Amino acid sequence: QLLTGKFRDTQTSITDSSAVYRVRNDKSASVTLIDLPGHESLRLQFLERFKAAARAIVFVVDSVAFQREVKDVAEFLYQVLVDNTVLKNAPALLIACNKQDVTMAKSAKLIQQQLEKELNTLRVTHSAAPTSLDGSATGGPAQLGKKGKDFDFSQLPMKVEFVECSARGSKGEEGDADFEGLEKWLAKIA
Amino acid sequence: VGFQKILTLTYVDKLIDDVHKEFRDKYRNEFQQKGTLGLLNGTFDFKDDFMRLLRDAEESSKVRAPTVMKTFEQSLKSQKTVKCMIETRGEKPKEKVKNKKNKGSKKEGTEAVAAPGKASAGDKQPPATGDREELTKDEILQKNREEFFKRHMKAGEKSRSPKPEAQKEKGKKPRVWDLGNSNAKVLDYSNSATNGSAEACPVEEFDPDTALGDRNREPGRLYDLEYESDDEAEEEKVIQNPSKPSAKKGGLGGMFGMLKGLVGSKSLTREDMDPVLEKMKDHLIAKNVAAEIAVQLCESVAKKLEGKVMGTFTTVTSTVKQALQEALVQILQPQRRVDVLRDVMDAQRHRRPYVVTFCGVNGVGKSTNLAKISFWLIENGFSVLIAACDTFRAGAVEQLRTHTRRLNALHPPESHGGRTMVQLYEKGYGKDAAGIAMEAISYGRWKTGGGRGCFGGMILLNVAFSSSPARNQGFDVVLVDTAGRMQDNAPLMTALAKLIAVNAPDLVLFVGEALVGNEAVDQLVKFNKALADHSMAQTPRLIDGIVLTKFDTIDDKVGAAISMTYITSKPIVFVGTGQTYCDLRSLNAKAVVAALMKA
Repeated sequence: QLLTGKFRDTQTSITDSSAVYRVRNDKSASVTLIDLPGHESLRLQFLERFKAAARAIVFVVDSVAFQREVKDVAEFLYQVLVDNTVLKNAPALLIACNKQDVTMAKSAKLIQQQLEKELNTLRVTHSAAPTSLDGSATGGPAQLGKKGKDFDFSQLPMKVEFVECSARGSKGEEGDADFEGLEKWLAKIA
Repeated sequence: VGFQKILTLTYVDKLIDDVHKEFRDKYRNEFQQKGTLGLLNGTFDFKDDFMRLLRDAEESSKVRAPTVMKTFEQSLKSQKTVKCMIETRGEKPKEKVKNKKNKGSKKEGTEAVAAPGKASAGDKQPPATGDREELTKDEILQKNREEFFKRHMKAGEKSRSPKPEAQKEKGKKPRVWDLGNSNAKVLDYSNSATNGSAEACPVEEFDPDTALGDRNREPGRLYDLEYESDDEAEEEKVIQNPSKPSAKKGGLGGMFGMLKGLVGSKSLTREDMDPVLEKMKDHLIAKNVAAEIAVQLCESVAKKLEGKVMGTFTTVTSTVKQALQEALVQILQPQRRVDVLRDVMDAQRHRRPYVVTFCGVNGVGKSTNLAKISFWLIENGFSVLIAACDTFRAGAVEQLRTHTRRLNALHPPESHGGRTMVQLYEKGYGKDAAGIAMEAISYGRWKTGGGRGCFGGMILLNVAFSSSPARNQGFDVVLVDTAGRMQDNAPLMTALAKLIAVNAPDLVLFVGEALVGNEAVDQLVKFNKALADHSMAQTPRLIDGIVLTKFDTIDDKVGAAISMTYITSKPIVFVGTGQTYCDLRSLNAKAVVAALMKA
């Protein structure tokens, strides 16, 4: 959508796809967008490959199915956040709550609250897990946020923002998508 | 195409290849020049082409219709004379004289060449054999019958001699041992009155230090195994390798050849990869990966790399190693991580216990690891009920009782708000395991205060508010220990499947030892099969996770981990590395793969 301005039907991806995107701001800079497959057996693999090169990460969430998939979403987000490379580079993180055109979609605020709660529990369970076989402990040094307080996205070393967007657009397939938030953020990053 | 096992279409492979080639050729420009934008913007009007290819493929498969059987005249057999097919002993086999009865056969052409050669020799024979054919058929039959009987008579004489010996074996006598009467009573050392009861079990002096093994630790945090990674040593080897083979080539042409091999971008072929893959396969098998899995792994790596263009300064060996490493990490990393603590918290919220079942063959360490896992759970503040469903092995219940005592000594009720953290639910020996499991789970369930039905609300509420002990009776986790059984023991496998199907545990853990080699494949396949076959439900409960035990006994021959995860595609949840309560680890995929690939 960002590249072509039109809505295209897509299939589940097996591999990554990338292209250069010209940002609509004064400097007219361009960024390379890389789309990674989300299938559960592939997502970690591709994250490994591209995490070092990332200047910013857009984490897309399905706002409609979020309630059901909270645990999976939080698990994956946790894995992104505690990754050593990501913590070192601290790229800007945008959590894009997609599919807002559907009426049942949850708002960004609600998603943020739920994720914070879930990540709070997750960091307890992950750090309590038996340590792994070699030197690196699973959650030890990478403690998300502050220990005493409940987890909050502001405690992370990187800038995190929440934005609502919809690739399909509220006017159906023919209409333009409304993700001004996303575009503005991209402009800022570039 | 997806359901090949139900309906095999012979043309599928060819069709896929053809479609692939056609699509690529037709839209080559779009891909090469425009990249992703080409994909997004281009219109791919491929439907007509696809239908055409499909029709071609279907027709080609129909062409090879069932072949018409050859008639007798056409076959070779009718062309030989019957006489030449008789084997008379002591005589040399005669030359085959072609029969010229069948005029329409193709063989005549070749026969015509052979015939003149034999014409002088077999001049008189063809007419003669033609006459003899009808006569000799009956004679042949008779002759054959005689020979048949002759042979049988000889065999019959031989078989008579072993018969009288067989009669001695009847009437097996019980073996008498030297040390006196072999009565069952004499051999029974247990006190019959105390079989399974609590009092008779001797309370030994419990020494917490020996049990824990390592006192300098934070409660709840378990430390890691030191694992050295020889990354630097490996890299040196890799760099040296390309220079070695090229140094052997002599001459100017050899020099250029070496440079070309290093810098040029050539694509990998099967022949290039085969020797490397052979070596890798042997290496994996030496590291205790099951043989068939090593073969399959190398096959899949070969398929993935075929035709890939290598970058500069990379050798075939390094590319293959890299791909193999990626594949191994992919296998060991689960798709969905099994987070036991998270699921226990969920179950806690729903006020029901989280049930875990341990199954496996004999002697892998189920009871030991059950104790370790219950220790870990207690450290994290969950109360555990251990169900002793091993009603077969001598001393199984006592073993669990000893563990319960020690765990309670380590975590006394006082330090957990008056709650007993571990309790044992057992019913002695010889009973039905599935029944005990069901009782244990209902025993561990959260009970509402004092209610035995739906009586009036107010009075019950008051009773509940006075915090009766029955309200806290619920346990957070129920660990079910089953008896070890061989995977091909059908009645025992049925019993296990029944236990799991009836009680519907939240987590079914297969306990396997890291020492096992090719057996791992067989064990897991048969266990899964038994669970699937005997379950009445639509989606049967299969093995959800693996506990890999006795990991400290293997140095770096960690192949069993790969075999097990490959077969079930379920994650390894815990790794057992010793006999004390702290020896419980979680799997680190990269470390294991590094150990595997280490020369």
